[in-house]
Amino acid sequence: MSKPDQPATRDDASDRAKPRGASAGGAQPAVTRSGNAAGSRWPRLFAHSARQLGTFGGLIGLGLVLWILTPHFLTVSNLLNIAQQTSINAIIAVGLTFVIINGGIDLSVGSIVAFSGVVMASLLERAVPVPIAVLAGLGAGSLCGLINGVLISFGRLPPFIATLGMMSVARGGALLYSDGRPISGFGEGFRWLATGEVAWIPVPILLMIAVYVVAHFVLRRTPFGRYVFAIGGNEEAALLSGVPVRRYKTLVYGASGLLSGLAAVVLTARLNSAQPIAGISYELDAIAATVIGGTSLMGGQGSVVGTLIGALIMGVLRNGLNLLGVSSFVQQLVIGAVIILAVLMDMTFKRPKR
Amino acid sequence: MKIPSVSLLLATCVLVFSGCNRGDPAAVGTGAGVAGQPTVALVVKTLNNPFFIEMQRGAEEAAKKAGVNLIVQAADREVDVERQMQIIENLIERKVDALCIAPSGSREIVPVIVKANRANIPVLIVDTRADEQALAAAGGKIATFIGSDNFDGGRLAGAFIVEKLGGKGNVAVLEGIAGHETGDARLRGFKEAVAKAPGIKVVASQPANWERDQGYNVFQNILQANPSIDALFACNDLMALGAVEAIGAAGKSGKILVVGFDAQPEARAAIQKGTMAATVAQFPARMGAIAVENAARLLRGETIETFSPVSIELIK
Repeated sequence: MSKPDQPATRDDASDRAKPRGASAGGAQPAVTRSGNAAGSRWPRLFAHSARQLGTFGGLIGLGLVLWILTPHFLTVSNLLNIAQQTSINAIIAVGLTFVIINGGIDLSVGSIVAFSGVVMASLLERAVPVPIAVLAGLGAGSLCGLINGVLISFGRLPPFIATLGMMSVARGGALLYSDGRPISGFGEGFRWLATGEVAWIPVPILLMIAVYVVAHFVLRRTPFGRYVFAIGGNEEAALLSGVPVRRYKTLVYGASGLLSGLAAVVLTARLNSAQPIAGISYELDAIAATVIGGTSLMGGQGSVVGTLIGALIMGVLRNGLNLLGVSSFVQQLVIGAVIILAVLMDMTFKRPKR
Repeated sequence: MKIPSVSLLLATCVLVFSGCNRGDPAAVGTGAGVAGQPTVALVVKTLNNPFFIEMQRGAEEAAKKAGVNLIVQAADREVDVERQMQIIENLIERKVDALCIAPSGSREIVPVIVKANRANIPVLIVDTRADEQALAAAGGKIATFIGSDNFDGGRLAGAFIVEKLGGKGNVAVLEGIAGHETGDARLRGFKEAVAKAPGIKVVASQPANWERDQGYNVFQNILQANPSIDALFACNDLMALGAVEAIGAAGKSGKILVVGFDAQPEARAAIQKGTMAATVAQFPARMGAIAVENAARLLRGETIETFSPVSIELIK
């Protein structure tokens, strides 16, 4: 089914996820694997959507419980409220989903949010037109991401190290650039990005939906997406199949930086302020959403739809626990427990089948 | 198989935790609370700082007396303005009757105050002022501010150091997070007081972000660069206590005059021991209590003052 001399397709890629570390002859076990994974793509597709259905069921179940416990949960305004609160984490998590499927990790997203935010805000402060300032913010984010990518693919640094370094560099850059002070007070035109509505739907929600539609399409329907899976599943095999591994790895981190920049736009407009200390530990929230959504930290497997559901589960949990007046300490505990249990279940249900 | 499990898991989690919280006497007025009583929410910066734990205690006692249900919530970290905003948005959705807020960011709090205004929920600001210009620009309204004058506190600390040093010496400052109104006001007050004594030189002024471990490290570095420091003013006690450890490690215990801010129990003990010279006392429990009392009065239709000062004093 899968031939080593052809670029890997998505399904091949997820097959290759397992026999990691198989070097030169890496394609060999991959072929065997597709053989006993049931021969046709249907069971696998089913398994994949079953995981997503499971997560989605979790979200619905959670919603039902909250609906029973509090009358304030299931109202249109609260649901819009949750979607808005989720949007920032959800946008960052798309970038992380790409990075993690690709077999890497990006710890720098929170710092990049702060850096892009202050770069954009300083331009807005100098009365630069909104679109240009926003583009500069997105550019600053992409640049940080691309530097990550170059360090990882051309400098051969482990992603953990490269992005850990960038986490500190971007944070320091943000503090230095802004002199440690928040930059605040922007015009209505810019604030519209957080406060505006189109057809009664707040703009951040629309941005989030747009990002997910594009990301889903890119991941499932373009060569770029197939390569992301292929590299994450088995980098060696992808390389041997002629995938331009370095270029695509660089681009993946660039995309993650770009999305952090977009999150910074929404965050800055929402708070009407850009803080150099913004976004601390956002990387952990985004990783959590990605993992709850079923993306494997081993690479080669995952979906953006799962990530959206994961981010929504976190948003709904936080919102619901606030509505119920549950103490902040318990909230942290619950979210941690959900992350652990979601992945634990994934593992236990996957293992016997394979 | 998988589908029901994940759902069940989440459902159980929420049930278990909301359930166990109901029985928890520490969580005043969570869930439904006492029916018929109005619900007041107090959102502080964080609940892992003794200052806000004291504020919570004062608020809880006042809530019992005033016959209101009280919800106390906070973000995990003091700097997390976005999370604080989310919490307040959620409380607005829950339709609490009044909101008492200790803002994590003076300007960043403004958009959510406007949201509360739109939902007709009165907002009482505690401890840290909301930026007045930003508030006016956004058309936001608050019912009252309850807090100490941090500028005065900083001035008290500065005057004390000037007096103790006899008007001559090298002084270091540990600042809070840059751009925070509370820390900025303390710093302005302090600088005004020391400016009156030309013999006093501020040789280093660095942020340690309100945190104890950063207070330790930053002051250790300051000491490396300026071994001849005579006095330190830290904008809160946590940083001062961290610096005290650094001073001890450098073998200079008791040789540097350390003045903190907040008068936390640990700082009071350090003053007794002689490792700290003084601290500026605020009364967070009183702030919490006044906030809840004022909220209750407001809900009964009474008018309240737009500023309730809470006294401030130097403990030495």
